[in-house]
Amino acid sequence: MDIFLQQLINGLTIGSLYALVALGYTMVYGVMKLINFAHGDLVAFSAYVGLTIFTQFFGASAVSFVDVIIIFLFTSIIVAFVGVLLERLAYRPLRTAPRLSAVVSALGAALVIQNGIMLIWGPNMQIFPADLLPSTIWNISGVIITFTQVCILALSAVLMIALYFFINKTKIGTAIRATAIDQDAAKLMGINVNRIIMIIFVVGSMLGAIGGLFIGLYYRSLTFDMGWVYGLSAFIAAIIGGIGSIPGAMIGGLLLGLFNALIAGYISTEWAETLTFVLLIIILIVRPTGILGEKTAEKV
Amino acid sequence: MEYVLEIDNVSKFFHGLVAIDDLTIKVKPGQIYGIIGPNGAGKTTLFNCVTGIYTPEKGTIKYKGEDITGMQPHKIAQKGVLRTFQNIRLFKEMSVAENIMAGYHTKSKQKWYHSIFHTPFYRKDEDASWKKVEELMEFFNLTHLAMNATGDLSYGNQRKVEMARALAANPELLILDEPAAGLNENETIELTNIIRKISEMDIGIMMIEHDMEMVMSLTDYITVINFGKEISQGEPSFVQNDPRVIEAYIGTDDDEEEENNG
Amino acid sequence: MNKTTSIATIFILVMAVFPFLVDSAWLSIGITFLVFATVAFSQDIILGRAGVFNMGHAIFFGIGAYTTAILNVQFGLEIIATIPFAIIFPVIIAIFLAGPIIHLRGDYLLVATIGFNIIFEQVLSNDLFGLTGGPNGIFGIDVVRIFGYELWTDTSIYYIAFGLLIITLLIIRNLDNSRYGRALYYINKDEIAAKSMGINVPYYKLFAFALGAAIAGAAGSIFAIQYSAVSPESFSFMQSVMFFAIVLVGGSASLPGVIIGTFVMFVLPELFTEFKESRYLIFGAAMVLTMVLRPNGVWPATFGNIPKYLKEKALKHKALKDNSKGETE
Repeated sequence: MDIFLQQLINGLTIGSLYALVALGYTMVYGVMKLINFAHGDLVAFSAYVGLTIFTQFFGASAVSFVDVIIIFLFTSIIVAFVGVLLERLAYRPLRTAPRLSAVVSALGAALVIQNGIMLIWGPNMQIFPADLLPSTIWNISGVIITFTQVCILALSAVLMIALYFFINKTKIGTAIRATAIDQDAAKLMGINVNRIIMIIFVVGSMLGAIGGLFIGLYYRSLTFDMGWVYGLSAFIAAIIGGIGSIPGAMIGGLLLGLFNALIAGYISTEWAETLTFVLLIIILIVRPTGILGEKTAEKV
Repeated sequence: MEYVLEIDNVSKFFHGLVAIDDLTIKVKPGQIYGIIGPNGAGKTTLFNCVTGIYTPEKGTIKYKGEDITGMQPHKIAQKGVLRTFQNIRLFKEMSVAENIMAGYHTKSKQKWYHSIFHTPFYRKDEDASWKKVEELMEFFNLTHLAMNATGDLSYGNQRKVEMARALAANPELLILDEPAAGLNENETIELTNIIRKISEMDIGIMMIEHDMEMVMSLTDYITVINFGKEISQGEPSFVQNDPRVIEAYIGTDDDEEEENNG
Repeated sequence: MNKTTSIATIFILVMAVFPFLVDSAWLSIGITFLVFATVAFSQDIILGRAGVFNMGHAIFFGIGAYTTAILNVQFGLEIIATIPFAIIFPVIIAIFLAGPIIHLRGDYLLVATIGFNIIFEQVLSNDLFGLTGGPNGIFGIDVVRIFGYELWTDTSIYYIAFGLLIITLLIIRNLDNSRYGRALYYINKDEIAAKSMGINVPYYKLFAFALGAAIAGAAGSIFAIQYSAVSPESFSFMQSVMFFAIVLVGGSASLPGVIIGTFVMFVLPELFTEFKESRYLIFGAAMVLTMVLRPNGVWPATFGNIPKYLKEKALKHKALKDNSKGETE
């Protein structure tokens, strides 16, 4: 029972991280039908940026709550900026081009960001200092939960609720949903599609940036290519939940995190990754639209 | 055989929306059968059910006596039911000849090793294939355009290529979805003559059309559809004067009065 | 002779005498170029012609390589004898893997192939059944022996690779002018129209997979022979991304396109070894730039693949039409 509860906590934590990253994928796919392969690398980039800000401006030592907010804020803004740049340079010119061209461009952008990280910070692993957040640990009858975990769970929950309200209860959110359903019709209704897409990239990148910072804090070791496979896993989470669906990405992320944690706890960590992809294949064969996805028909 | 196509009490729903409601249509070999009705009446949906792209929820569709309801599109085409599309689905970057060749695919007998290793059998089959394409281009007066990309052609020529492509498969039932859409008067006359010649080859033709002059002069029998339901059927002269048909297209005197008073 | 044929001929002639023009370092690069070009062409059949979003092509390349490695090193088979297996196993795996996913929509199929590729890498690294040799792979692969003669020199391996590329080009050229090849194009351009003309779409997509896998497997075998070793990194998901990008950046279904793509992705980095570290960054930027500037690839395919006599007839009829127009005016 202990293992189960422990893995439950771990799983929800990891799942929240997946969810934050998955949201970026699903929002872009929902509106542009494009798999933003560069998103995972942006997430990795944010971890590195956060690391740099923390070490250069705060001496990598214990900081106040306000300072933590500042670090998160600045990292998010920088990453959001890069995300918008990415859209402008690699995706917007290809809006009317064949789908595959945009896929290649996305892959190319991913390589640029990934190797940009390597050139700036070097190919060696970097360690994220432990002092950004207090290292308090609670032990509740054998189940260990850290302060960082609590932060992740709490902040992710807040962000997801906020996003849900944003998408469903605000005018911009409705515009986003409209654009996702039919870009041309949205344009005809006076929606500025370019602005909507920019907003999506800003929101998705910021969520991804927060996720990236937490990933750095949680796993502590950063490698320049960590975004590549992590991004894929988050993308799988989005698919499980139903690609294009925002609640789907949240659910998919949590489920994937739980799945990962339970496999790691009961079987082994080496097989966790393989089994994640086996799960993906099964879902794609049996129900590709995921848990909350919808089928769309093509007019003949 | 009496009928090349029998649509019996077919209904098609889309999540509660009734697209086709209990339609019964029977087409004879060599007959030119018209399907008319206002936009959105369900005509193309009916065609999609016949060609296997949709499966009707109720009813059966029989081709030459064989039940083809819900069969896969490629199998139905292999049996001899070929079609053209409302929005023209040609392979735009490919030449006219290559497009027409697509229709011959089911008649060609090359297997994968013939295709890869160019055996003598390949040679014979390939020559026969291009011969058929050549004949069709002659029939449709397209020979001079053989090398042109279909995307560059006029609407009239594109529609001809689509028909030639469908005929390449030696169909016994040809389904035409608005073949005259976008054509000028001369092109429409040319098209009418072509369709007549095709029907004389004993090929059954089922046609959606909005050009009333063409429909009335060309078709042998018509079914009128509105809101997925049949509202009239009969020979052109009958349908033309059927008040239910006139009401569906133009509205009744009551509607006119309301407009004048309101 | 049309443009593509003349380019192909020049290319073949140059590559035929290549070993006599360069030193051993360049010879090795030449072999790598031939092998990767072959794999790229085999991916072109699946992605460029049939239009299937296959991002796991490194799997078939890898199965071919590992088959030769395992059969030779673990089971003592002569290299020559391993080659038929290196061709057939990838085909079997291709049908087995692609079968369940072939009906999926493009993006989903793409992700499924990525999943397969990653699972494949894991299987190789985890030394499945003690056969695949773990993360360090398998080494000590024998040399090619025919009738007792040992073909161990780079030059001989070069010509084996060259032979395979020629065969591949012939297969593709034959395919383009045949029923099966045309079917792939039709499916790529408009699946619904293709279906409605009687083309069994899943069957032909699987055919493309099988053929592409067979050729990639053979290339994998040669790859293993060249390096006398195989290891999992050579068949990673990133490699599949490379093959995917080559076809689209160069130009799908285009011979000059695929050659240019392979050259840019695999040979150019060797020329600029100073930039080796930024190699992937430059690729990435090149990929983005190329797609933005030329979304259909550097050298897009052209059509009009019809018999000469029909072309001549067309021109004759066109001339007649123009003349008759001139007379009435």
